[in-house]
Amino acid sequence: MKRSQRVYERLAQAFPHEFKLAHGDEMLQTGEAVLAHLAKRRGWSGMARLVADAAVRLPLEYLTEMRRDLRYAMRALIKSPGYALVGILSMGLAIGLTTNVYSSNWAKLTRPMQGVEHASRLVMAEKPVSYFYVESYREQKSVFAGVAAFQTGVPFNVRLPGEEDGKQQRIFGQLVSPDYFQVMGVDAERGRVLSPAMDRAGEAATTVISDKFWRTRLGSRADAVGLDLRVNGQPVTIVGIAPRGFEGAFAAESAAELFVPVTAPAAVAPELANDVLHRRYAREFLALAFLAPGVTPVQAESVLDGVTRRLDANDPSVPPQTDKARRVTLLPAGTRVPIPPELKRALEGFFVVLMGIVIVIACMNLGIMLMVRGANRRKEFAIRMSIGASRFRLARQLMSEGMLLSLLGGLLGFGLAYLLNVLNTQLHQAVDMPVPPVVSIDWRAAVFAFVAALVCGVGLSVAPALRATKSELTPALKEGSAMQLPGHRWFGLRNLAMAVQLSGSLMLLLITGFVLMGFARGYQVQTNFDPKTMAMASIDPVRDGETPERALDLFAKIPQRLKDSGKFSSIALTTLPPFATVDDDDSEQLTVDDPQAAQRVQQPAIKESVGAGYFAALEEPMLSGREFNDADERSLMEPATGNATRTLPVVINETAAKKLFGSTNAIGKHLKEGSRGYEVVGVVHDLQSGMGIKQAIAYVALSRDDIVRPPAAGITILARTRAGFDGAAAVRDVVSSLDPKLVPFHVETLSDQLAMSRREVQSAMRTYGGIGAFGLILSAIGLAGVTAYAVAQRKREIGIRMALGANKGQVLRLVLREGIVLIAVGTLLGSAGAMVVSKALEAATSAIADALALGTNDPRLLIGAPALLAALALVACYVPARAAVRIDPLKALRTE
Amino acid sequence: MTIKQAEHFLPLKPQWFHILLALAGEEQHGYGIMQEVLERTMGKVRLWPATLYGSLKRMIEAELIEESSKRPRPELDDARRRYYRLTLLGRQVLDQECERLQGLVQAIHTKRRLVTE
Repeated sequence: MKRSQRVYERLAQAFPHEFKLAHGDEMLQTGEAVLAHLAKRRGWSGMARLVADAAVRLPLEYLTEMRRDLRYAMRALIKSPGYALVGILSMGLAIGLTTNVYSSNWAKLTRPMQGVEHASRLVMAEKPVSYFYVESYREQKSVFAGVAAFQTGVPFNVRLPGEEDGKQQRIFGQLVSPDYFQVMGVDAERGRVLSPAMDRAGEAATTVISDKFWRTRLGSRADAVGLDLRVNGQPVTIVGIAPRGFEGAFAAESAAELFVPVTAPAAVAPELANDVLHRRYAREFLALAFLAPGVTPVQAESVLDGVTRRLDANDPSVPPQTDKARRVTLLPAGTRVPIPPELKRALEGFFVVLMGIVIVIACMNLGIMLMVRGANRRKEFAIRMSIGASRFRLARQLMSEGMLLSLLGGLLGFGLAYLLNVLNTQLHQAVDMPVPPVVSIDWRAAVFAFVAALVCGVGLSVAPALRATKSELTPALKEGSAMQLPGHRWFGLRNLAMAVQLSGSLMLLLITGFVLMGFARGYQVQTNFDPKTMAMASIDPVRDGETPERALDLFAKIPQRLKDSGKFSSIALTTLPPFATVDDDDSEQLTVDDPQAAQRVQQPAIKESVGAGYFAALEEPMLSGREFNDADERSLMEPATGNATRTLPVVINETAAKKLFGSTNAIGKHLKEGSRGYEVVGVVHDLQSGMGIKQAIAYVALSRDDIVRPPAAGITILARTRAGFDGAAAVRDVVSSLDPKLVPFHVETLSDQLAMSRREVQSAMRTYGGIGAFGLILSAIGLAGVTAYAVAQRKREIGIRMALGANKGQVLRLVLREGIVLIAVGTLLGSAGAMVVSKALEAATSAIADALALGTNDPRLLIGAPALLAALALVACYVPARAAVRIDPLKALRTE
Repeated sequence: MTIKQAEHFLPLKPQWFHILLALAGEEQHGYGIMQEVLERTMGKVRLWPATLYGSLKRMIEAELIEESSKRPRPELDDARRRYYRLTLLGRQVLDQECERLQGLVQAIHTKRRLVTE
C-alpha cells in the first residue's frame, strides 16, 4: 500500500501546473482517503485502478493544456504578424525546398518500378553480355528464379493501323527475350504478355505495347489487341497491353513503349541482324534476373562472376586476365534507374548534406528569433510570473509558439514543395523528356523535413525560453528587454547561433555556387563557328524499311547531292551529334599495341563513328596527322571479307593521346581493342562535351556496320551553310527528294541542340540557385534580428553615452562592431567548411565531382560569394543599428 | 462571451451527469461528490480521483459548476477542500438531461408493453 501511495503521489505531482494549482492538494488528499478505504475492501486490484486512473488522465490533461497553449500562441502570433511571417516563411522555405529537391531529383529515380510485384528482387548486370551468356545464367536455378535478356532504347519506326500512307513515328522500345514479362512478374492489362511458348522464332512477329502507347497513340481503342502495326516496314501484331505505369526495365534513359521479342525477324529490328542471338560473343544484351527467394544480390553476383569467368575463358577476344576484379556487377533493377548501392549512398549523402545545411540554417533562424522575442517580452513574463505563473508554464508558452511556427511552416512547406513540383514538371515538359515527369512529393522526405523542423522548433525554443524566463523579477519589471543578463557576451548562445547560421549560409552559397559554376562552365560549348550555320538531320533508312544495300547507296549519294545543291560548304556524317555527352560506361578498353613496350598501357575511351570530313565541318584543325577521307570511308563500306584482322584507321583526341602515348608522337602507333587493331592516323583537339568533361575519345571511321545497324540516334548528317539560311529544312528536302520513304528526324541547327542541352543546366541552376539565395535571405533575416535585439538590450547604455556626448557615428560604430566581428568569423568558418565539404563530396560522388572540381577553382566565386554575403549581412546589421542612433537619450534614461 | 446553450451539452457524459446530480441537492467538495455517487449507485459507480478532478476542472471551464465561497463550520472544515455548486446553466443542463433520460425510459416502457402484449 505504501508503494501504491508513493506512485500515486508521484503521478499527482506530475500533473500540469494549472491543474495542481486548482486541484492538486485535494486530489492528493482524496487519493489517500480512497486508498486507505480500498486497501481494506478490495486489496491491490483497487489500488491498481486508482493508479491506472491517474496514469491515464495525466497525458490527457497535458494535451488539454497544450491545446490551450497553442490557442494562446496563435493569438500571440497574430498580434505580431511580422515575426510570425518571417518565422513561418523561413521554416516553410526550408521544408519546401528540402522536400522538393529530394522528391524531384532523387526519389523519382529510385522509386520502385510500377506494375512489378517484387521489385526489390530484380537485379541486372551492369555490362552487356551475349544472348548465349544469358542462357547460361538462366541455368543457375539455385540463385535465380528467372533470367531475361533485353536491349533498351531501341528505336522503331512505327506506322499506326489506318494510317498506311501517313508518316512514320520514331518510337523507342525494347527488344526482349520472350520470358521477360514472366521474369519481371508483370501481367498484361489486356491480351497477353510475351511467352516462350507462343513467341517462337519463325512465327509471325508480335509485340506488347505500353499503356501509354495504347492511350496516346491508339486513342485507347477497345480493339487494340490483335491490330497490326507496321514496325520498320514489317507487319507486327499487338498481342497485349502492359499494365499502366510499366515502362520496362532501365526506364529512366527511355521509357519503353513497345516490347518486341528477340525471336522476331531481323527485318523488324536491325539489332537482330547477323544472327546476333547465336553469336556466342556478341555482347549486345543486358541480363535481367529475378532472385530466388532468400538469395542476396551479393551471393548472386559471386555466382554470376564464376559463370562469366568460365565463359570468358573460351572467348578469344577477351585477353587472358589474371585480375581478381569482378567481371559482373549486379545493380538493383527494381527502380527506374539501376543505381549501384555505393553511388546511391554518395548521392544521398550530397542531398543530406545540402538539405541538412538548409534545415540547420532555418532552425538557427527560428531559434534566434525566439531568443530575440523572448528578450523583448521579458517584462510581460515578469508580470505573469509575479502574479503566479510558473517558469515552466512560461517556457512552455514559448515552446508552443516555436512549435506552432514549425507546424505552420511545415504546412506552407508542403504547399511550396507541391507548387515547385508542378512548376518543375511543366518546365520539364517543354524539353522533350523521354521520361514523363511525376508530380508527387516523396513522403519520406516530407516526413523527415517536417519532423526535423518540429524537433528544431521545439528544441531551439527551450534554451531561449528558459533564458527569457530566468530573470530577477524586480529589474525585469522595471527594465524589460533592456536588462542585462548574466552570461558571456561574446560566446553567448546568441552569437554562437549567429556564427553557425552565417557560416552555414555561406557554405550553402559556396557549395551550390561551385556546382552551378561547374555546370555553367561545362556547358559552355566553344565552337569555332556560328552554331546557327550548322544544319543537322538524322535518318535511319534501315528502320524506314530500306534494305542495307539501298541504305549504303543512299549514304553514298546524300553528301554528293547536298554538295551539288550549292548551298552547303562542308558535309559530314556521324553516329553521334557533336558535343553530345557520352556516359563513361560506354567506353571501350584500348591497349597500346607495342611489343617493345616495357608495360602494357591501357586506357578506356569513348568510341565515336564519324565520317570523312567531320572535323573539317566542325572547323577543328588536326593537331597532327589527318582525318578520315573518302577513301577510308569507301573501303569500310565494303562487306567484310572475313579478314577480321584488318587494321583500321583511328583518330584520337588530345586527352586520349596523352594518356596512351604520353608526350611521344602518336601518329602511326598501333592500338588494340579486343581482337580489333587500329592505327592512329590523326590527333585532334578535345571537343568539349556538353558536361564539360574531358574524356578520352577514339574516333573511328563510319563503317558498313553503322549503316546496317544504326545506333538509336540514327546517322546524323552535318551540313555547314551560311548564316540566315534555313539549312536544316534544305537538308530535309534533299533527303526526301532522294527517297520519299525516308523520315528525317532531329532536323535542327547545332545552336538549337545546344540550347536544348542548356535547358537542363538551367533547371539545375534554378534548383541550386534557389537554395543558395535561400541561404542568403535567411542569414540576412537572422542578422537583422540579432542586431535589433542587441540594440534593444543596450538602449539604456546608448542613451547614457549619447547624453554624455557620443555622436551618431560613434554609436553606429559601437553597434556595428559586434555584427562585423560576427560576419568575419562566420565568413571564415563558412569558407573553410565549404571547401572541406566540397572536397569530401568530390571524393564521394562522381556524379557532381566534375562540376565541383571546375567550380572550386573559380576565384569569382571564392571571393564573390563571401563578399556578397558579408555585404548583405552588413546591410542587415545597419538597418537596426540606425534605429540605435535615433534613440532619444531622455526617453532611454527615463525608464530607470 | 457567447451565451452557451444547454442543449449543446446533451447527451451528457455519465460522470458529468453524476457530478451534476450530486451537486443538485447541496454544495459539495470533491471527495463528498465521490462518496455521494458511490452511495447513490450502491457502489456501482466510482469516480476515481484523477477523473473526478479532471471533470470538475472542465465543468468549471464549461461554466456548469462554480466554486462556492460558503464554507462549513470551522471545526468541520479542511482548508485544502474546495466546495462546488451548480450554476444556472448547470441546472438547466441537468434538467434537460433528466428529461431526455425520462423520455428514453418512457420509450423503453412502451416498447416492453408492446412486446408483452
